[in-house]
Amino acid sequence: MRRHLRLYPPAWRARYEAEVADLLDDVPASPRGVLDLVHGAIREWARAASRPAVARFQPVGGPPMLEHPLQRHPTTLAILALLLVGPTFVFIVASLLAYEIGVPGLAATIEPIVAAVTGPRWVDPFLLAAPFVAFLIAVSPLVSIGFARGDGELRVTIGFRARALNVVVLALCIALGGLLAGYLLVEFMFEAPLG
Amino acid sequence: MSESDGRDPGLLVLISLAGGPKHGHAILLDVAGFTGLRLGPGTLYGALARLEESGLIEALPADGRRRPYRLTEVGATALRGRLSGLEAAVRVGLRRIEVA
Repeated sequence: MRRHLRLYPPAWRARYEAEVADLLDDVPASPRGVLDLVHGAIREWARAASRPAVARFQPVGGPPMLEHPLQRHPTTLAILALLLVGPTFVFIVASLLAYEIGVPGLAATIEPIVAAVTGPRWVDPFLLAAPFVAFLIAVSPLVSIGFARGDGELRVTIGFRARALNVVVLALCIALGGLLAGYLLVEFMFEAPLG
Repeated sequence: MSESDGRDPGLLVLISLAGGPKHGHAILLDVAGFTGLRLGPGTLYGALARLEESGLIEALPADGRRRPYRLTEVGATALRGRLSGLEAAVRVGLRRIEVA
């Protein structure tokens, strides 16, 4: 029956799993016991989901920070952001290598691919918007905002936590966004036809 | 097990702990002794988690792998109130059933 304890929420397991595992050593295994554990797991997940947003990051002297659901999945969101920004990354790196650095033969290789891929109208806006959207996705689990009203004023506290993968993805998004912005600036300000 | 049939696992755990601190298995045996009811491990620890979160019971330092729990002052007051309410209901119910 011990393996059914893996069905419980992580916070519950951290607190009670060892005790229940010990108890299970003394209780004969039975289908009723298994059902009871499964039912208990469902109930604990429901309780965890219905628990109000609580302070996870508690700044000294500041208001409690609200934990929003996105904060529970920083790695998943970082990977999602990475997948979103991936095509733009490949596109920019290939373009830099082919046209700026001049890797022999690369331009001829990628041109038909680029022409085929960028055919649909939505591809260019997607490639341009991806770093900015991916930035928002990767940063969302890292930021917490707390509000407290006291002495007739509203106090707002912004907390930021660092998660290695999310920070790497953020840096990548900033670099790609910067390259794209720079490219667009040069394209439209200095190379646009006058008059 | 329904909480409305007078066999609320939380209430049974509180009653058990009113007799002194106990760990999970001891609570199971105690409850089985005074009700004939065998609580499942999920039901027992669901009740313990809820009661601990409400401050009605508290965990004591672990004794090996077992952790005993005891009733808090708040828990004792809550249990007294709950049992008094039940006692009044039981008294009225028994009286009415004898009249009927």
